[in-house]
Parts: sequence; C-alpha cells; structure tokens
Amino acid sequence: MQEYLQPGLPVCPPGYDESFVLLNNQMPSSAALWKSLEDCPLDEDEDAFQGLGEEDEEIDQFNDDTFGSGAIGSARAAANEQAGNGERDEMDLLGDHEENLAERLSKMVIENELEDPAIMRAVQTRPVLQPQPGSLNSSIWDGSEVLRRIRGPLLAQEMPTVSVLEYALPQRPPQGPEDDRDLSERALPRRSTSPVIGSPPVRAVPIGTPPKQMAIPSFSQQILCPKPVHVRPPMPPRYPAPYGERMSPNQLCSVPRPSGPQPPPESTASWRRSAMDGNSLRFAVVKSRGPYGLLGSKILSRLQLQPGRMSPSQFARVPGFVGSPLAAVNPKLLQGRVGQMLPPAPGFRAFFSGPPPTTPPSQPRPPGPGPPLQTLRSQAPMFRADTTHLHPQHRRLLHQRQQQSRNQHRSLNGAGDRGSHRCSQQDHLRKDPYANLMLQREKDWVSKIQMMQLQSTDPYLDDFYYQNYFEKLEKLSAAEEMQGDGPKKERTKLITPQVAKLEQAYKPVQFEGSLGKLTVSSVNNPRKMIDAVVPSRGEDDETKEKQVRDKRRKTLVIIEKTYSLLLDVEDYERRYLLSLEEERPALLDERKHKVCGMYDNLRAKLPGQDRPSDDHFVQIMCIRKGKRMVARILPFLSTEQAADILLTTARNLPFLIKKDSQDEVLPCLLRPFSVLLYHLPPVTVTGLLQQLMNLPQSAAAPAPCNPHLTAVLQNKFGLSLLFTLLSRVEDLQSSEPLTESSQSAQWSVWLRSPALQIVHALVFLLTVALFPIRTEVMFMATRELLRIPQAALAKPVSIPTNLVSLFSRYVDQQKLNLLETKLQLVQGIR
Amino acid sequence: MNYMPGTASLIEDIDMGIKLRTFHFRGRHSATELNPRPEKHLVLLRDGRTLIGFLRSIDQFANLVLHQTVERIHVGKKYGDIPRGIFVVRGENVVLLGEIDLEKESDTPLQQVSIEEILEEQRVEQQTKLEAEKLKVQALKDRGLSIPRADTLDEY
Repeated sequence: MQEYLQPGLPVCPPGYDESFVLLNNQMPSSAALWKSLEDCPLDEDEDAFQGLGEEDEEIDQFNDDTFGSGAIGSARAAANEQAGNGERDEMDLLGDHEENLAERLSKMVIENELEDPAIMRAVQTRPVLQPQPGSLNSSIWDGSEVLRRIRGPLLAQEMPTVSVLEYALPQRPPQGPEDDRDLSERALPRRSTSPVIGSPPVRAVPIGTPPKQMAIPSFSQQILCPKPVHVRPPMPPRYPAPYGERMSPNQLCSVPRPSGPQPPPESTASWRRSAMDGNSLRFAVVKSRGPYGLLGSKILSRLQLQPGRMSPSQFARVPGFVGSPLAAVNPKLLQGRVGQMLPPAPGFRAFFSGPPPTTPPSQPRPPGPGPPLQTLRSQAPMFRADTTHLHPQHRRLLHQRQQQSRNQHRSLNGAGDRGSHRCSQQDHLRKDPYANLMLQREKDWVSKIQMMQLQSTDPYLDDFYYQNYFEKLEKLSAAEEMQGDGPKKERTKLITPQVAKLEQAYKPVQFEGSLGKLTVSSVNNPRKMIDAVVPSRGEDDETKEKQVRDKRRKTLVIIEKTYSLLLDVEDYERRYLLSLEEERPALLDERKHKVCGMYDNLRAKLPGQDRPSDDHFVQIMCIRKGKRMVARILPFLSTEQAADILLTTARNLPFLIKKDSQDEVLPCLLRPFSVLLYHLPPVTVTGLLQQLMNLPQSAAAPAPCNPHLTAVLQNKFGLSLLFTLLSRVEDLQSSEPLTESSQSAQWSVWLRSPALQIVHALVFLLTVALFPIRTEVMFMATRELLRIPQAALAKPVSIPTNLVSLFSRYVDQQKLNLLETKLQLVQGIR
Repeated sequence: MNYMPGTASLIEDIDMGIKLRTFHFRGRHSATELNPRPEKHLVLLRDGRTLIGFLRSIDQFANLVLHQTVERIHVGKKYGDIPRGIFVVRGENVVLLGEIDLEKESDTPLQQVSIEEILEEQRVEQQTKLEAEKLKVQALKDRGLSIPRADTLDEY
C-alpha cells in the first residue's frame, strides 16, 4: 500500500473511489477531508491507515501552506496571526471565505454593467448595517454586500479611486533632503516593503522622529482606498483606530478645533479628547451641502445622494501620529471598527461641508521639534478636508500647491485693492482642495508647447488660408460696423505666438573625429531616395501623339512657371506694405520684371518670326488652368499688352470655344476683359469688333453664313463679350462727338450692311433675353434670318442696357417699332 | 474673447481660481464677477461614452483628469447618470470636449431617470439595433451582397 502513497501528491489511495480525490480538491479543509475518508471503504490495513494519516497530515500541511497560517504573503495568514492563532474556529470561518476572496478578485474586471457596484450602489437603498462595536463582525468578510452598503455618498467626497495595491502602503523611505527637490515629477515612491496586511507599518525612522520640515510628517502615511468605486475585494481595514469607537481618524487629523490653536497637549489622550469634543459638535450637523457649496449640492442631488454610507476604509485612514499607540492596538478593534465608523458618518460628512470656522489657513507652522502629534495637530487646523485618504506624498503635494497658490495670490493682491477678492479666493481654495492641481508653471508649459507648434516665421506662407479667411472676416465685420452702430460682436480670435522672423541657415551636422564627411539625413537635408534619370530626348522618329503630348507637357510647364510668377506678383502688394522705404523701389522693379516675364511666357516670341504666333497662346488657352491664369494676369499687364491678348483671343475665339466646351471656363475671362474694354481706345475697339465677328474689312461681300460669328453667338462667353463690346461702342458713340467721320462711317457701314441680319438677330436676342416669353412670330423670324436654331443661341451673361439705344441708331424704324411693340405686348401680358 | 490653440484653451477652465466674467450691462462693462466655480466639462469619448466632470488637469496630448465624473447615458429623451469618480482619460480617446454652462444645465428637454431604467432602455435600444442589423444583413445576403464591416477590414 505504501508504495502508492507518495508524499506531496494528492493521490487517490487504492480502494477509494474517485470521489475522494474530487472531494479533496474541492474542500481542502480538514473537516471535509475527514468526511470523505469516512465515506470511503477502508482496508483493514494498519499501514494503510498510517499512510492515510500521513497523507492527511500532508494534505493538511498543503492546505495550511496555501491558505492557512503557513502561507507566505497570504493576507489571510497575516491577519490570522494577528487575530491569534489559537482561535481556530475563526480561522475556519475566515478560511471559508478564502474562496470567496479568490472569486471576488477574479471578478475585479467588470463584465456586466449590472454587476458594476458603482451602478448597484447608486441603486440600492438598503438600510445601513449596524454592527455591534467591539465584536468581530463576521459580516465584514461577507464582502461586497457590506461594502456596498457602507460605502459613502458617491461624489460628495472626493475620493480618488486608488488601486488595490495601495491598500497597504508602507511608509515610504524618509526622503530627507529630497523634500526640497521639485516634486512636480510626482513619482510615487517605490514600495520598499511588501504589503503585509495587518502588521504595523514598517518604518525606517523611529516613530518619535519629528518631521524634517514639510507639512506632512514623515510618519503619516497610510492610505486606504476610500470609497471604492469599482469592484473591489473586501479587504479588511487593516489599520486600527486607537481612539475608540466614535472617532473617525479623518476627523481627528483634519478637524480644525473650534477653540483654535491651543498649547500642545501633554498626552495623546487629551488630544484625543479635545478632538473628540470637536467631533461631537459635528455629529449633529448633517448638511447635504457638498464641499462645493451650492454647486456641490446640485451635483449631489443629481447623483442620488445616499447619506450615511461610507466605506469603512475611509475611516480606516489613520494618520501616522497614531503610530505610537499603533503597536498597542488590539487587532480586534481592527475588525470591529467597521461598524464603529458608521455613526460618525454623518459627522464626517458634515465636516466636509463646513469650512473650518476659526483657523485661518495662514497659520504659521509650529516650531520644529516636538512630538509628531503636536506638529500634526497644530497643522490640523489647516483645512485639509478630505485629503487624508490620499497618499502622503500626494497630500503633501496638494497642500504645497495650495500654499503656493495662496502665496501667489497673496502676492498678487499685495496691492490690497482686492482684499475681498483675496478672501473669497482663499475661501474657494478652502472649499475645493483640488483646485490648482496644476501649477501655474505646468499650465504655462502646456500652453508653451501648443504655441510652439504655431510658431512660424512667415504666417502667410505657412498658414495662408487661415490668414486670408480671417482678414476677410475682419473686413466684413468692419464693414458691418460702419454700416450700423450695432454692438461690437467679439469674434473669437486665436491667439497666435508672435515670433520675430529668424531664419537660421541650415548647418549640416558635423561629427568630430570622424574620418571623412558623414551625411546625416534630416528634414532639412533629405536623402535622395530614387535614382531617377531623365532620358534625353532627341529621337526623330517620335510618333505624332508623342509629340503632341510633349507639346502639351511643355505648355503645362510654362503655365506652372508663369503661375509662380503670378503669385509672386500678387504678393507684392502685401510685401510693399510691410517693407521699408528704401526697399520699395527694388520691389517695384522686381515686380515689373516679373510681369514682363509673364507676358513673354504667354506670348512667346519664337525666334525667326517678326510677329509672335498665336499658337503658343492658344495652346495655353486650351488648358483650363491657363485660362484662369490669363484672367488673373490681365490686370497686371499694361494696356497694350492686354489689348494684344484680347485681340488674340477674339481672333481665335471659335477654336477656343470649341476647346472650352468641356471646361466652360471662358466666362471667367469676361470680367477682366470688360474692365479692359473700358480703357481701350476706339480704334482698338473697332479692330476688336472686327476680329470678334470676323467681318470682312470691306462691307462688300455679304456672307450668307458666318460660322465665326455663329460660333460666337452660340457661346455664352462669346455673346457676352460681344454685347460688352457693343455697349462700349455705344458709349464711345454717345460720349464723343462724331468728329472722325470715317470712323463713324465705318460703324454704320458694317452695322447696316449684310450684318444687318446679325443686328436683327441681336435685337431679337435682346428681347428674348430681356423678356422670357417668346412669341411664335419672333421665333420664326429669327430662324428665317439666320438659319440658326433658336435654342442654340446662347444666353449672355449680362446685357448692357444701352444696347437698345445702339440698335435704335442703326436699325431702321420698322424693326425698332416691332421691338417696341413686342416690348409693350410682353409688358401687357405681364 | 481670445482663445489659445489646442488644449491650452482648456487651461483657464481648469482652475477654481478666479474666472473673470464681464457683464455687459446696458452696453457698458459692469463690475467683474468672480466666478469661483471650476468648469464642468462634458467629454465625448471614442467609444461613445459621455463623461461629465470637473476638469482638473490636462497636458499637451489632451490627456484629461476629470474629477467627480459622471457617466451619462442617453437613450432617446431620457438620460441617466452613473457616478464614477475620478477619470484619467488618454488624449487619443477624446473626441470632443466642451464646457457646460451651469446655468443652462438645468433647462434641458431631457428627462433624467434612474440608472436601472436607463440601462434597461439602452439594452432595449441595442437589441433593436442588432435585430435591424441582422435583418439587413440577411436581406443583403439573400441578394448575394455583403457589406464588409469596418472591424473586419484588414487592409488598413
């Protein structure tokens, strides 16, 4: 038999059924073991029994090692040690709950919302448990139930959720001179000792050591997780309350004594007493006001405040000054304290709501050495509110910041003109200890980072669209303001950093002591990624398509170059304004030069031709971008240059119209053209008109069909241009006296003659355009005249109003009458 | 009002310090009122949650520290608040963040309900959505089409 029994293995001894093993695994407690043994058939074998006994012992040992007192680092074990190992029955009770603990730990991840205690807690309205003080309340271990009930009001107190690990924070190693150092890194101290629960906190410095200098004495340390918001295993409150039952340690350390600063007590007991007195005052005061005053109450009411619910751990927070009695603490109090803390709950909360009545925050710190108690107590009058549950370093930082901000404000308000302001400021600080978590320095730092990203030497270069948009907006608002005396609407303006223009030449990185030149690729010095080689052209047997394509590409390149010139020229105005006096002539020269360059690009003069061919220009105009560019360039060109362009356009208009059928960009040229027209001398206008209509120089040959003109008329741009031109003609006619008869003769000749039909058409078009209703008669008449389908005639962009007068001059009376009657008719219909 | 770019604009909102608010009283500046309250903010996260709390700290990545946070669930015209405590939100998960005007906070057409109710409503809403989605997918499948879901795309 014995060979089967191997130490260390849970084995099913022969003769026993499998259930034994199963039972063994499920119920590791010794009781279960014995039970199963009884159930199973036994061999009448002494050795077996012995073996069994040994095995049982081993199993017991295993149990103990895992769960019981022999365990290393077991929370339960340590607690049980404290509790007294002789109390086995307690142990068992606790042992039973070990599994629950494991389960609960595994449940720390909230799967289901309905299991979320945060939600559940807010939902439950069960009455608060009232355990008897002083007795072991086994319901503590009952876990989440109790905790839920006991947990305090949710957002009324500022309880930061602290991880489970922080349950047992040992004393951080004394930091001595490091206290002076800048604590804004806010690194929590490393855990130097393992959290052995229930044991007195490890301290490297003896308890009686006075603090070095800082507000928070070195002994104050423990934090327990206050108000656990998330699922948490029911961790036992580990730190005993030395003060008896009705005291909340929080209150002890934080409550400002109503009697103000007092001489240090001789003993801790008297301190306690006096603190208790202060406490009792507060029991009666239960306010629903939160620490934020009105605002807080709003929030509280919103959040379904449940008064009186507090986590036992909140009260378990024991400041270090109780360290001396710590050793003497009865561990039983540890467990019993849970219930004890409930009565003080209202008081605790009340404490929250009321600001410290008497002690001004600016109480000077007590002189150095003295019992830690004293130090803490005299600092207790400083408002600490609910910060005692925090990690000591955290708390220290918090108060440091408060001090700082107070100092800041005090210094700011040193002028004294805002005395009340100061008080209210401090008041607010008092009410909200979490204010100024960010130091001004930190805020500046963040702002600085954001601003750095916006720095630019040339905002118009880096942020063109925003700048332009903003200028437009401002112009708009300025215009609005001019119009009406409305209230000045404040526009939100982005604060951008104003940086002086500093162009730093790029200096490549140089390494010392290196052999040769090492190149480091950076944003300023990018490495060549692709070894692209442009194959040289020059093959004669290129196909036609290729040639066409090349030509198109060349045109595109020229357009791009001209565009860059154009942008520069457009920018000159702004630069001119920004520049200094002496720089301006140079700028002007540059500008002129560039404008000439642009024109040359447009009307490239090929060598060997006295007259520049239209071809180049037409090529440019075939491309949409080219047309737009020409429209933008026109204002910058001189009159003759612009007229030249216009003439060329008019000459080639049908071709351009054909090419523009897809893009329909020609109308963009209309505006600069019309502007130009008004500056042109009459001769040019005449020539232009001729070009546009492609009319023969002499009026002799009547053209039955004028494809050029037809095309022009059928296109919106062409028609509008024609109309604009005619209107200009009319202006010239009406404004200048007819001194030059030859000119006027020319006008009349071509307007009357074979082009009369055209005029008719124009008249018709005019009426059609002006009045949307077309009558049948006119329709047929036009078709008669021009053999152009009516629908094909384009609609001009705008019709100059003086065209009627123009036609009236040349069109015979009959037509004019017809026109007038039509007008009246239509008007009558309307 | 001039504002600063990025998260720097939130810095003023953080503090419970003095926040000057000038009132235009009959077209002229009246006394400055001290607004001693911290600014309550509403944060919308990438996973769709809405958090409301006091902004305590930020940094350049828009990581936020929210204090006394409440998670608000909206379903239809109702909403429910779940108090959560302190939140530290990583900046990349923030979709938008806005200030809550405390005076206007109370006059909303929405109706506040208890947590269980809102959770129940949410569940119902999710269910209906799922069912609708299922129907749609089924219909598409019948026609031989399929819409690839964003989370199953592994091209990007």
